[in-house]
Amino acid sequence: MRIKRLAFSRLDGLLLLLLAGAAAFLGYRVAVELNYHWNWGAIPQFLIRYDEESRRWTTNYLVEGLFTTLRLSLWASVLALIAGFAVALARVSQSLYLRLLARSFIELMRNLPPLVIIFLFYFFLADQLIPLTGIAHIDMDSRPLLSKVCTLLFAPPANLTPFLSALVTLAVFETAYVAEIVRSGIESIHKGQWEACHALGLSRRQSLRYVILPQSLRRVLPPLAGQLVSLIKDSSIVSVISIQDLTYQGTQLMASTYLTFEVWLTVAAMYLALTFPCSYLVERLNRRLNRLP
Amino acid sequence: MTAEVKQTPPREAAVVQVRDISKTFAGGVLALDHISLEVDKGEVLVIIGPSGSGKSTLLRCLNGLEAIDSGSIVINGIPLDKNEANRLAIRREVGMVFQSFNLFPHLSVLENINLAQQLVQKKSLAEATAATQTLLAKVGIPDKAGRLPDELSGGQQQRVAIARALALKPKIMLFDEATSALDPEMIGEVLDVMRNLAAEGMTMLVVTHEMGFAREVSDRVLFMEEGRLVEEAPSDLFFSQPRETRTREFLSQIL
Repeated sequence: MRIKRLAFSRLDGLLLLLLAGAAAFLGYRVAVELNYHWNWGAIPQFLIRYDEESRRWTTNYLVEGLFTTLRLSLWASVLALIAGFAVALARVSQSLYLRLLARSFIELMRNLPPLVIIFLFYFFLADQLIPLTGIAHIDMDSRPLLSKVCTLLFAPPANLTPFLSALVTLAVFETAYVAEIVRSGIESIHKGQWEACHALGLSRRQSLRYVILPQSLRRVLPPLAGQLVSLIKDSSIVSVISIQDLTYQGTQLMASTYLTFEVWLTVAAMYLALTFPCSYLVERLNRRLNRLP
Repeated sequence: MTAEVKQTPPREAAVVQVRDISKTFAGGVLALDHISLEVDKGEVLVIIGPSGSGKSTLLRCLNGLEAIDSGSIVINGIPLDKNEANRLAIRREVGMVFQSFNLFPHLSVLENINLAQQLVQKKSLAEATAATQTLLAKVGIPDKAGRLPDELSGGQQQRVAIARALALKPKIMLFDEATSALDPEMIGEVLDVMRNLAAEGMTMLVVTHEMGFAREVSDRVLFMEEGRLVEEAPSDLFFSQPRETRTREFLSQIL
């Protein structure tokens, strides 16, 4: 079922290991055939560096990129979960209009390449919609606290507009996937449960709220969590619109240092450090929920 | 045939009035073929017939779980029509017990029975709980309030389902093969509860294969086949002198 498709499982881990093995082999070939000079020593400075000015250790490109990826994934998850539930409810609504609307949205999002959606939304949102919100005109320079909070939670004020565009774009297409997962959960509930609700005189809203959703929620929790893990991975595509996430920083570093393999292996390891614990938690969750009656 | 039913003058006391209803399922199966039926207050009506004869569909039409194609249904004076308020009102008058219990698996026994009391009757938690405890005692499982449905036996689960339906103080109870999914040793405990209910004067429409129960408890028996009402008679007459050949054949098969 859906669970199979979406859960990040041990098999994925094994595949990644195999890939790592293949990469090692390639690395060896590269060293021998291309006469590639490994220079791992240059990498740590891109993680953290010593700032002469403030005389403190501070994060550098790659770690900054990781944080951006984290922020982006986190907020996109929150938005996608909320919107996804709403779309799923519209999808199973009794109103034909709402059903068609939700269906069109989901099909559109799921049948377009994310990259195309990113470009469409980026140029539309960034150019047209975000300026309308007036966010770009908020004076952050004279308000250091607001500026700091903004940097901590989202992005430095200067990058806020593109960050928000990327965030909304990511959230919008993840919403479609979340909605489908939630819908499948709602529809997986045996129709006898609905009938019992009807027979007891519960309204449709009450039936959903107290009987159907609590049961479907438990069923969709594992695939939902899995979807959020893949959201972290999917977030890498925002690098094409110059959001300074982990992947973007990787491409920049590669261009300036030519340390292709070192940079990308480091980036891969950093993504893994983020997604693997999440996947592990998902699996734990899966096992725990399966044990319950 | 149904001629005799049609000759009966309309009774004002009838709490269930079914006039000439028909229903065809999407696949083209004629589930109900011009059924008319009246049930008096306090009457216990048993509906029997081979599987696929439309007896469950008939019950499900009475509280609007299935829509009818033609004809009319009036429950306790309220017409079952497109009007949502009427539909909800009827569902409050009619309790239903399903073959597969349909308890809410994520709620405890107490919460299962409390839910509709709190949501539909707007009772407080304390009022609902008090009523639930009384009902659980009535169906013979006063000590199971805190359990989840899955922790109970089938017979206990069905008794919880009966208590849940009774919690809304319905005027009419529908039993849709309430004992068919139960292990044989548990059938008795559920039938006991139904028997007590009948003795208290509850109006009941019971689809069942339990002929002993039908003969002992019912006032009237209705035999259906292929969506049609084949025979209808007071239960002693029905079992001792069935008129229709088809009824006799059916009874000889199962008795």
